[in-house]
Formats: sequence, C-alpha cells, structure tokens
Amino acid sequence: MEMFIQMLVAGILIGGVYALIGLGMTLIMGVMRIINLAHGQLMMVAMYITFALFQFFDLDPYFALLVAMPCLFLLGVVIQKYFLNPLLKIDSVIPQNQILMTVGIGIVLTETIRFIFRSDYKSVKTSYSTATFMIGNISWNVPMFVAFGLAVLLTTGLFFFLLKTDTGRSVRATAQNKDAAMILGINAEWITQLTYGLGAAMAAAGGTLLLPIYYLFPDVGGQFTLKAFVITVLGGMGSTVGAIMGGLVLGVAETLGATYISMDLKDAFGMVIFVLVLVFMPGGLKTLTKV
Amino acid sequence: MKSKYAIIAAIALLVLFPLMVGSDYYRHIFIIALMWVVIGSSWNLLAGYTGQISFGHAIFFGVGAYTAGICTTQLGISAWWGMLLGGPVAMVFGFLMGSICFRLRGSYFNLATLAIAEILRLVAKSWTSFTEGMMGILTIQTFRSKVPYYFLALGLAGLCVFTIYKIMKSKWGFYFVAIREDQDAAEALGISSFRYKTYSLLVSSFFTGLAGAFYMNYMGFIDPDVVFSLYYISIMAILVAILGGAGLIWGPPVGAFIMVLLQELFRSAFFGMAPKWVSNAHAMAFGILVIVVIRYMANGIVGDWPKIHGLWAREKVIPSATSGN
Amino acid sequence: MKNAWKYVFAFGFALSIIIPSLVLAQDSIKVGIILPTTGEKAKFGEIEKKSFEMALEEINAAGGANGKKIEFVFEDDTGRPDVARAAAEKLITKDKVVMLGGGYGSSETFAIAGVAQQSRIPFLVSTGSDNKITEMKWDYVFRLNQPVGDYPKALESYLSEVVKPQTAAILYENTNFGSSQSKVFLETCKRLNVKVVMSEGYQSGGVDFKPLLVKIKQANPDLVYMISYLMDASLLMNQSMELKVTPKLFVGGGAGFTLPEFAQNAGKAANSVFSATLWYQTLPYPGAQEYYDKFVKRYNMDTEYHGAEGYASAYVIADTLKRTKALTTEDVRESLSKTDMMTVFGPVKFVSYEKMSNQNQLPTYLVQWIDGKLELVWPKDTATKPCVYPIDWEKAWK
Repeated sequence: MEMFIQMLVAGILIGGVYALIGLGMTLIMGVMRIINLAHGQLMMVAMYITFALFQFFDLDPYFALLVAMPCLFLLGVVIQKYFLNPLLKIDSVIPQNQILMTVGIGIVLTETIRFIFRSDYKSVKTSYSTATFMIGNISWNVPMFVAFGLAVLLTTGLFFFLLKTDTGRSVRATAQNKDAAMILGINAEWITQLTYGLGAAMAAAGGTLLLPIYYLFPDVGGQFTLKAFVITVLGGMGSTVGAIMGGLVLGVAETLGATYISMDLKDAFGMVIFVLVLVFMPGGLKTLTKV
Repeated sequence: MKSKYAIIAAIALLVLFPLMVGSDYYRHIFIIALMWVVIGSSWNLLAGYTGQISFGHAIFFGVGAYTAGICTTQLGISAWWGMLLGGPVAMVFGFLMGSICFRLRGSYFNLATLAIAEILRLVAKSWTSFTEGMMGILTIQTFRSKVPYYFLALGLAGLCVFTIYKIMKSKWGFYFVAIREDQDAAEALGISSFRYKTYSLLVSSFFTGLAGAFYMNYMGFIDPDVVFSLYYISIMAILVAILGGAGLIWGPPVGAFIMVLLQELFRSAFFGMAPKWVSNAHAMAFGILVIVVIRYMANGIVGDWPKIHGLWAREKVIPSATSGN
Repeated sequence: MKNAWKYVFAFGFALSIIIPSLVLAQDSIKVGIILPTTGEKAKFGEIEKKSFEMALEEINAAGGANGKKIEFVFEDDTGRPDVARAAAEKLITKDKVVMLGGGYGSSETFAIAGVAQQSRIPFLVSTGSDNKITEMKWDYVFRLNQPVGDYPKALESYLSEVVKPQTAAILYENTNFGSSQSKVFLETCKRLNVKVVMSEGYQSGGVDFKPLLVKIKQANPDLVYMISYLMDASLLMNQSMELKVTPKLFVGGGAGFTLPEFAQNAGKAANSVFSATLWYQTLPYPGAQEYYDKFVKRYNMDTEYHGAEGYASAYVIADTLKRTKALTTEDVRESLSKTDMMTVFGPVKFVSYEKMSNQNQLPTYLVQWIDGKLELVWPKDTATKPCVYPIDWEKAWK
C-alpha cells in the first residue's frame, strides 16, 4: 500500500511538469489547429538558455524562468509571423504544410543548439536538485513539487487571461472561427502570433523547471513533444484545465503502469491512452466538464 | 507535362546505371533511393491522392521488415519469404489502423497514426523474445554483389509506380480524389468513404511492407529504432512525397532521388570534396531544406516545375488556375 | 533550347559522381575507423577518436609501417547500426581501406562485422562488447576488448570472497549492451547461489526511475547491479538517494558509471558506488599511466577504458601492417591473427575460448568511487585504495 501511495505521489508530481509542457501545446493546437512538432525543441531552447544563464551568470533556474519565458515568447511570435502565417496563403494539395514547417523548424533549432553547445550532456546542479521532504514514509521531490505548484499557478493565470481579458477572449474567438473573428475586427494575424508565443513561453516554463531534475542535450525535445500531444488530446484541445488534468492522468498512468506492469513499456502507456482517447472520447476530458 | 521520351530516357538510365557505375557505394545510394520511391509513392497514394495524411507509415515499413526478420529468427526460414509475406502482413496492420483511425479527421488522424507507430516501436523494443528487442535482427545477405538488389529495388519501384498509376486512372482513382476534396460530399454521392479509404490504405501498406521486407534482406540488420522511426521513416516518407509533389505520380520518385542524394551529398561532404564541417551540417541542411521547400515550393518540384522552370528561363509563366495568387 | 539545360545539368551531375571515384590513390595505407562522433554516444566516440589520433601521430612519427604512413579514415556511425553499415561499405568500396577498426556500440559493431566478413576485410573491434560478435565464427573479425560476458568476473570474485550477498536486483537499459550484460550477470548470480529478486529493463533517457527504485526498496536486495550509460546512471543514483534505497552495495556495469561526469552529475549520490571496468591507468601495463597523463594534458579532458581501447587498437593495427608483406586483405588478416604484443590496454593475443574465436582474453577489474575519485579496489594486488565496505549510507550521502 505504501508503495502505491509513493508511486501515486511520484506520478502526480511528474504530471505537473508534463502539464506545463502540454499547456503550451493545447493553446497552439486549440487556436491554430497546428500540430506543433517543434514544441519539444522550443522547450529545449529554453533549457539551454537557462543552462547558459546558470553556467555564466550563476543565475538560479527559478529566476532564469523570468528570462527564458519572454525569450521564447519572442521566438514563438517570430516563428509564427515569418514561417507559419505565410503558409496560410499558399494553396496546395496537402493542407498539413504547417506541420511539416514545424518539423523543419524543430530540426534547425536542434542543429543550431548542437552547433553552439555540442552534443554533450549538460546538467544543472542546484542545492535543491535532489532535495526531498518526507511525509511519513513517502518522499516528495522538492523541485517537482515546485514545478507542480507553478503549473497550477500558470494554468490559473492562463485560464483567467482567456476568460476575462479582451485579448484572451479574442484568442478564444479566433479559435472558434477565424473568419468571423476577423469580421468582428480582431486582428487574427496578431492573435495567432501571440498564441504561438504564449505556447512557446509555456513550453519554456516546463523546460526550465525540468532542468534541475533531468539533464540536457540537443535531442531532448522529441520525447516531450509526444507527451505534449497525449496531454493535449487527453485534456481536450484548447482547454487549460484539461491540460492539467491530462498531465496528471499521464503522469500517474505512466508511473503506475511502470511499477505494476513494466517499466520498459512506460512510454507506450501514454501512447495507448492517447489512441483510446482519440477513439472513444475525442473531445478529451474537457467534455466531462463544462470548461 | 513530362514528355514520354524523358520518362523512357530516365528508365533506361536507371536500368543501365549499375552496369555503368561499378562502385558499390553509388549503387547503394540508388538502391536506397529506389526503396524510397516505393515508400513515398505508397504514402502519396493514401495521402496525396486520398487525402489521409498518415504520420505513421513506419508501421508498415517496420512490420514488413520484422516479418522478414522473424522468418529467420523464429521460423528458421530465409528472409526472402518476407518478401512474400511482408506485404500481406502489413496490409493486416493497415486494415487495423484504418478501423481505428479512419473515423478521425484532420490533426486527430495525423496524431493517431503517429501514436500507433510509436506504440509498435516500443512494443518491438520490449518484446525481446519475439523481436530480439534492441539487439536487433541480423542476417547475412544472400548476394555479395549489389546488382541483384539493385534490380530487385528497381523492379519493386516500377511495379509500385505502375500499379498506382493504373489505380489512379481507374474508378478507384476518382473516388480517392473525391474523398480527398470533400469527404462529406463524396459520402452524399454514395461513395463509401470508409471502404475506399481502406482500399487506398491496403495498397499503400502493401507496398510499404514490401519495401520493409526488402530492407531487411538488403541491409541485413534491423532494430526497432531504425525501422519504426518517426523522423527517419514516417516523416521522411512525407517529405519525399511533398518535396517531389504530392498528388502527382512522378512526385515521389523525383522527391526520393533528390532527398536521398542530397542527404548523402551532405553527409559525405559532397563526396569528400567539401570541407569536413559540411558533413556535420547535414542535419541542419535537411531542416533548412524542409523549411524552404514548404515555404516556397509547397507543391513540390514536379508540381511547381513550371514556376521553377520559369525562374530559369526568365519567361513569364502563366499561373495555373489553382495557384494562390 | 530550354531542354538543353536539362541535359547539361544531368551530365554535369553524372560527372560529379564519376570523377571523385577516379581520384588517384595516395601513397599511404588507409585504415577505416568507425566511431560515434555525433549522437548520444558522442562523448565516448570523441574520447576514442582522440586516442586513435594521438596514437597515430606517434606511430607515423616513428616511421609508420615500414616507412609508409598510415592514414585513419574516420566515419561517424551516429550511434545507429544502419549508418554504421553504410559507413563500413563506403570505407571498403570507396576509400578502399585495407582494414577496419573502431566499433563502439554493440549493435553498430555487429552490423560492421557482418559487412567486414562478407567483404573479406579484417576488422579489429575496439569496444563493441556483445559476446555474439566473436561467436559467429567470422574469421575476419577480431576483438581487442573483453566481451560483455567477462565484465562481472572481477565482481564475481569480490562477491564470493568479501560480500557474500544472498539476494540481488538487476536494472538494465533496454539496449544490446544492457540486455546482454544483464543476462551474463544472471548467470553469475546462479553460480554464486545469489537469488535474483528482480531483473528489469527500462528505456534509456527517462526522467523518473522511481517505479523501479521503489520496487527495489521494497524487495530490499543485498546487491543492486545497474547497467546504464552516463545520464541514466546519474539519475538512478540521485533518485536512489532521494528514496533512501540502501542495499549493501550498488554496482555499475561499466559505461556510464566509470566516467568522471558521473561523479559530477550524481554528486554525493555517486559515493561508494562500485563498477566493473576493463582498464585503469595504474595497471602494470607499460605506457598505461603515460597514456593517461599525455591524454589529459593534451586534450584537457579525462580518459578511461574506452580511450585506452582506442589507443591500443591503433598500435595493434600498426603492428599488423608492419608485419604484412603484401598489403592484400588476406595477408593483413593473416598478420592480424598472429598478433602477440603488449599494449597500454594489456597483452593482445587472439585466442578461442567459450564460444568465441579471435578474441583477446583479459581480466576485468572493480573500481569504486571514494571521495569523488574513482579508485581501483579489486583484485587486491592491483588496488590503489582499499575498498569501502560495508557502506555507511548516512555518511556517504552527507
């Protein structure tokens, strides 16, 4: 029983980190219907920024967050403005050009970083990297706990942004029907750029918070892109609360599956859930709530 | 409009190639290119013509390769049986994938196919008793010379392109395009979208499976990360077709040759003639190529050929009726 | 008229393919070396490549092979077996090398060996460790380094003489290297009458190993044997420390556990961790310590058994070429098979034992991280420091 609780805790904590990564993706997918295959790479860039700040300026990752997020926001806006928006004007047989563009961007980002930093594994060792606190016999990892807390914070922030602010409502309007939004005077182009930027910033948060407990190399992004998809679909495209729930479900499912079935198939569990959700509950967990 | 003579000349060149060029290294590049003609064309049938953009074609390639491999490890028979069995087994997986995924549209479909390919990769990795897991399957090639493999690949490519050409000229072809253009309208006209999408997928998976079985026999080594790879198989298939021109019969063949040749060109630093760092930049060059192609040549080289040709000849090109501007 | 350009282009392209293959051969002996210089194994590949290069400079400065310069043509297998295969074929058909060396990852080495055997080109393996590589009765494939089956040999004697554990758990990464070594260790446990309570594989690159570690904590074995590359090894130890998993001892199966970066990344979690290893610079082999010092001084980075393998391989290759009269691949193979020399890695002589042939037979050793430094602790007569056992985890993890 104790093992189960410990694993549940571990799953929830890692789920928090996952949720952050999924948050950005769900925003991008919800508004623009683009499968952003560069998502993991955006996260990776943020991780390297954090690493560089730690390496050269001794800046703690939690503070680096305040630098990495705006940087990635800008990067996201640039990508959307110069690479993705122009594609909308091109008529071609395959509408999925945007996805492939993100593939290309992802590769370029990875290789640029590899050129600057080489392929070596890098890590950031902080005083709290392996810090834990115990509740009874259950160990709670501190950095993951902080990441979880921040995920909740950011989700709440995003939630209110989308619901209560004008810009946020414009985002939701554009997501629902771009043309109608434009007719109503919303600058849809700018909104898409803003959204991609926000998505990138969220990914940055996920990466920065992940760095103290993991490590860094140019190809680190790929696996997280996949996780982000699972969370997005699981939670429901465009739903911020869905992303948190999706992250938690994924984290717990992976951890419990790894413990009781097979550690080897850990990543497969996520994929299987993904397919099941697509087939049986395509709207995601969001459909279970009204949000 | 490709003139008949250009096609015949190209085919003649391909047939004579291994006899003209003695180096195994260059033969190998062409064999891989021919294999990609098969995979790209198969993907094109399902995606370019029928509009079902699969991000998981590695499923069929991997299944075909493992069918051939497992012939040797579990059944004790030659991997060549895989060439016979690989196609049908891949079709079974195709049917399964279709049943699960065809109810989904757009991005959901893309992601579902991607996910299924990943699941298969992970299963192949851990089901060691059946697939040898990460230790991979190693076989000894039957032929020491590359020439028989070359002609086998050429034959496969020819058969695949010809079959697809014939299919697209038939009633099926019309149904496929109708489904691509507007699935609901097609349904309303009485075309069972599920049935025809499945037909398209069955043919597509068959040939891709064959390519996989060929790969096992030719390369002599496979493991889950190689044959079920998202980037190197699934996405490569998409790029081959798009770079060449999706929805066009000659698109994937042109795309396949260009992709394979370009990649090797960079990896070998222009066959050793360029400075060493070029080799390290090959992945970057690949990424840039993708961006440039998607941005400026979304209809592929064959599709946008009038435009490209126009750049060169510095002539006014009459824009086609369907181009954006 | 426009069509003419098409033909000019095609013709030019064809020329650009044919011309390079007509380039005149140079007057040096070419040997192909295949290593992962990009990808996740790049760190080791880099250490080996630099070792090969350092050795080559010395060899050529001393006259090469009977006056002729030796040239190493390096190819990057990127850590993937299909690329390794293609690289081997390119070296053989395009560069026309007389022999091949290198081979880091087991899968990659296996693929290269297949090509080498088929093309009748001698291949000296420097690192690939799967036993299978030399069990295939391939007469063109030779291996300098110990096979994975020999890795736990030093550990075996240590366990039976000092620790005498009752139970063990095995954690391995799900790759060729990990799976094959786990099987070998299972055999070792059988021989020592140690009950294996758990043997589980995992995908490398994971973030969270808690599912495995919590199970281990519950099973509470005396010994935990782990086979991982660098980053997984660091995370495994860090997370073991977090969860307070305290067996009698942790033992790594080489690779990630012997790199200096392991101590850097795992910090105090690396303390008192043992590992199997194939070589250490204080071993009484001529030139071992000098190799280590030279390397560190020149490249400003640490080296370990992989580097030594590369350095020694280069010397074996040179020695072989020196003894070969006519540089045909059959003669080179003949000479290679007759190798009988001493290198910084140890003596090299190819024999057959167990199911293997053309295999060099060397002992293996046990090292332990003590106070942030890797010390050789077993066999006792070659130890640099006495082992720290039994382990006080409170103290080690402070």
